[in-house]
Amino acid sequence: MTKVEFLNELRNKLQVLPKEDLESRISFYSEMIDDRMDEGKTEEEAINEIGTVDEIVYEIAKDTPLVKLVKEKVKPKRALRVWEIILLILGFPVWFPLFTVAIVLAIVFYLLIWVFVIVAYAVEAALVTWSVGGVIVFFLSLINGNSDLISLGTAVMACGGAILLYFGCKELTKLTIKLSKKIIVGIKMAIIGKGENK
Amino acid sequence: MDAQLRRGVLDVCVLATIKSEDSYGYKIIKDLRPILELSESTLYTILKRLEEGKMLVVRSTEFEGRLRKYYHITELGLKRIEDFKNEWKELMGIYSFIEEV
Repeated sequence: MTKVEFLNELRNKLQVLPKEDLESRISFYSEMIDDRMDEGKTEEEAINEIGTVDEIVYEIAKDTPLVKLVKEKVKPKRALRVWEIILLILGFPVWFPLFTVAIVLAIVFYLLIWVFVIVAYAVEAALVTWSVGGVIVFFLSLINGNSDLISLGTAVMACGGAILLYFGCKELTKLTIKLSKKIIVGIKMAIIGKGENK
Repeated sequence: MDAQLRRGVLDVCVLATIKSEDSYGYKIIKDLRPILELSESTLYTILKRLEEGKMLVVRSTEFEGRLRKYYHITELGLKRIEDFKNEWKELMGIYSFIEEV
């Protein structure tokens, strides 16, 4: 692959970026390749050291905020024509509900990932309440003259469960954060896409 | 290393490479090579962030018939390095305390 081919492919795959940002990145990589070639490396070697186009795209996806990518993707690359604007206005009753549904769905999916974490914490809270409540019931029964050992026993069990689940909750939260980060990078890569056709 | 911490450390590393004289992208990567492997994309992001934070200024100069961008540290950039050193002095004090306990 030559330098020109490499930079063209990169430009093609990063169409979603604002023009100014894109050109500044391209000139940065171009300078990096030139400087390596000045050092006596061949074009091929210089490009290999920079990494593959896909690696670069992936790193940029990780570094660019999702909101910015969506904004750039939605923003038209040229001024809208009159008939396009009219169509947008007339089509409002159609596209607006669809758009709203899409956003709501995205939020719901995101919350779904967290459902397990929420449930785990709810169970944890229940177990803690149970163990505290059981001990109170036991002491109350002592005051009344009969010792309610069953309440004490279940309270101890609930306490054990709560301690165990506490670590489970922490692990689950960590896993979920990792998973949602992965999903977000995935969405970003999908937005960047394979690049627009020339 | 924690992502936030890593970012802060990398920023200061890059600032340090342009502290005594202006430098350019590939030279920064080469200068940092003995202590850390920095990819082009990462360096680009760091330089952009430092430029936006007014810690360096960029100037394009002609070099062998093409343009090369040189990065020049600002007062704010120099201050960032000093702040970093002071923060770490404090941290090192805490570190030796922990070690001795």
